[in-house]
Amino acid sequence: MNKSNIRVICDAGPVIHLDELNCLELLCDFQEIVLADTVREEVKHHRPEALKKPDIHFMRASQEYPEGASLRTMCRVFSLDAGETGALAIIEKNPDALFLTDDACARLVADRMGFKVHGTIGIIIRTIRRGLMQPEEVLQLLAQIPTKSSLHIRRSLLGKIIEKIKKEFYL
Amino acid sequence: MKTVQMEVPEHLYKHAIVLVKEGWFRDEKEIFSEAIRRFIDSHRPDLMEKFIMDDVEWGLHGHE
Repeated sequence: MNKSNIRVICDAGPVIHLDELNCLELLCDFQEIVLADTVREEVKHHRPEALKKPDIHFMRASQEYPEGASLRTMCRVFSLDAGETGALAIIEKNPDALFLTDDACARLVADRMGFKVHGTIGIIIRTIRRGLMQPEEVLQLLAQIPTKSSLHIRRSLLGKIIEKIKKEFYL
Repeated sequence: MKTVQMEVPEHLYKHAIVLVKEGWFRDEKEIFSEAIRRFIDSHRPDLMEKFIMDDVEWGLHGHE
């Protein structure tokens, strides 16, 4: 299957979480994977091996601050960190891009600003729709989240997601 | 105010001390309070659940 023509702008969370689950290559389905410099530093600090995968090319983007007053204000009000703010500044200039974050506040800001935004769980489940993984493989991956990754998700919610996928695919 | 006792990795504690020495925070207690506040702010259960279920829907049936 051809790559999606979507450009993704990543916050550190999804890069770290996907790498912890040993499936960072799922990002290769996107046309471009962009990391703001501050996000890159955050990943380098917490999960340096994620940046050393030979098959995954992260495009660098200089740290910028949002130009729009609304976005600047939202970033301040929600106390977004430098990485999240930098990523949103890049999205502001690339409104068709997809913002990947697992931070609820960053996601809330992106959502309010009308940007497309999803997180680690979405990227994993999307692989079924894209024909990259079988539903059974995705279920295995989701089941590993509490033990293999630092992504915080309530066990009962994870169970609800797993049941939904099983029901969807008659498993 | 509640008093809690906690163990933190050495490198995190060193970072906290540097921030205090540089004058960003009054003391390390203020840093850890701020870190907990920030964590709680960004992990609001209702929001998290809504966003994650949006992800599931997009993952299964989204259009690109």
